Amino acid sequence: MIKIGIIGIGRMGISHHAILNSNDKVKITALADNSKFMLSIMKTYLDVSVYTSWQKMLEIEELDAIIVSTPPTFHYEIIKGAFDSGLHVFVEKPFTVNLNEARELTSLFKGSGLINQVGYVNRFNDVFNSIHSLLNKGVIGEIIRFKSEMFANTISEPDDGGSSWRSSTETGGGAVFELASHAIDLVNYLIGEPDRVVGSSLNQIYSKNVEDAVSSTFLYKDGKSGSVYINWCEYSYRKPANKVEIFGTKGKIIADQHSFKIFMTTPNEEHGFRAGWNIRYITDVYRNAAIDIRGTEFSHQLAHFIDCIEIGNSENISSFSEGLRTHRIIAKIFDNNSTNIVT
Amino acid sequence: MKKIDKIVFGDNQFFGINHMSQEKAQQQAEKFFDINNIFRVYENVLESGINGIMLNSNDRAREICDYFRENQDKFDAVNFYPSIPYPHKYANMIAEKGILPTINEALFKGNSSRNILSMISRGGSALVTKDAMKLMTMLVDVEMKMFHGLNVKVVFLQNIITDLMLGYGIKEVFVAYSEHIWATYNAAPGFITQNLPLLYKRLKEWGIEDVVICASFNKIGYLMSPDREAYEKIVEENDSEKYQIMAMSTLASGAIPAQEAYEYINKQNIQSVVFGASSKKNIDQTSSLIKL
Repeated sequence: MIKIGIIGIGRMGISHHAILNSNDKVKITALADNSKFMLSIMKTYLDVSVYTSWQKMLEIEELDAIIVSTPPTFHYEIIKGAFDSGLHVFVEKPFTVNLNEARELTSLFKGSGLINQVGYVNRFNDVFNSIHSLLNKGVIGEIIRFKSEMFANTISEPDDGGSSWRSSTETGGGAVFELASHAIDLVNYLIGEPDRVVGSSLNQIYSKNVEDAVSSTFLYKDGKSGSVYINWCEYSYRKPANKVEIFGTKGKIIADQHSFKIFMTTPNEEHGFRAGWNIRYITDVYRNAAIDIRGTEFSHQLAHFIDCIEIGNSENISSFSEGLRTHRIIAKIFDNNSTNIVT
Repeated sequence: MKKIDKIVFGDNQFFGINHMSQEKAQQQAEKFFDINNIFRVYENVLESGINGIMLNSNDRAREICDYFRENQDKFDAVNFYPSIPYPHKYANMIAEKGILPTINEALFKGNSSRNILSMISRGGSALVTKDAMKLMTMLVDVEMKMFHGLNVKVVFLQNIITDLMLGYGIKEVFVAYSEHIWATYNAAPGFITQNLPLLYKRLKEWGIEDVVICASFNKIGYLMSPDREAYEKIVEENDSEKYQIMAMSTLASGAIPAQEAYEYINKQNIQSVVFGASSKKNIDQTSSLIKL
């Protein structure tokens, strides 16, 4: 039985908890959070120990792994603590709030035998997974251009510039960390890390201290290039949506979480694609999960973490070193944004 | 338990919800931006003899409920199947503000003299915890306000909440919800789920009966975790006096042609189907294909 503690029981923490709770290989034995209200509710209804101090939890509990779903500004310290206690770590995205922390944690865990994973959940979406494998097989030839976009209606009214962690870049707030990290990770996963990041722009829409929209251009030594655009004040979207468009020498793919279209210049018999447009829906590539609480990708991502722990497989699909790649890009976006700079 | 309608008309198409295609969802949302287009569809629903309407408690449903009340003569024979809450409203609020402020705003919006934060500071968090189920039923009542005066047959808890509580395995929530729905609305409690086999197993273990379960059910096993076979076995052995099963996503968001989809559904021991459509032709065709 793998014993797990969860640090931070907000929206993501409770969803991870409920998913893992129905996994027979796992027992959630302890929770840490600074909300006594949440802790006392959990304690009343569940068989768990609760702590207002995560340090205490690590000290007292005999755990195998932790889930870190606190505001990102606490990730670094907690993950270091977990490393000292010899624990496997699953941390919500973004991995940390700056590049140095991400670098340090990645090298700390490298070769340690401890499983480490960042919650870039798109890597476990069935459509994006299919595209990953099509691109690896070279189905659309050499990639030339791409576009990765994400839209959400997360922030729907002006803020008061308040003091929460969400209203400062230093603490991991803003659309780049919260939302663009997903779109950037998807580029890393599907296409690879760019060599240069140029022409970034940050816009404010409702937020006072952080950016609400960001766009950027990614350049690669081999000549391919692409753009990223995200907006988290997108009132025209009911649910968060990721959109990816990839143009290659032999075909083009347009995808979101639910479906993809592929245009082939010549037929591909192996995958059943004719020349011209082909449409595949999520229903064509869908995998059920042991439990589906908010989309099977969330279940698949945690199942992967548990599987890696169980079989001692350090080849995690979304390891810290993958999280670090996204942070390298984010650092470049903040470095060279040239217009609409947030002051 | 009162028998539920064999055919219930759903509302996803009105609100830009399509699990398979964001593009399709957006097109539909544009079409139904004018609420009169929604009312026109309901006219067609009545004409095709469907007497069950499922409606999620989102902001636009308020206007739709007003319309049903204003045209009560016409909708006299219709049974309503509300589903609560509107999950995205809360998801965004929780992401932006946190769980406690979200509950606070939902319950005490515009009433500054009462709020959960002051309840906690007055009575301590232990008091609130003891009353967590009371808090839950208060949230239910807030969501149900818009349906007042309508003939409510079942009140469904949305799958995001059902499945979260199912994952946690908290029996008290299911018991308290069921009792509250019977007592307050004289309606059957309903649970929407993406995990029928697990929910069914737990409800039996916990001795919770006389509820309606609404779950995805389709020939290709889409949104049927852990697998289609488990679903088929459950309904085959189910006693529908205790648990009535309503199938949703029967076309798997359009992946299965209607004829083929309902040939499969009609063979299952299912008591009801909820489906959505926009055109009169599709409404009539679907209702003629469902033979439970």
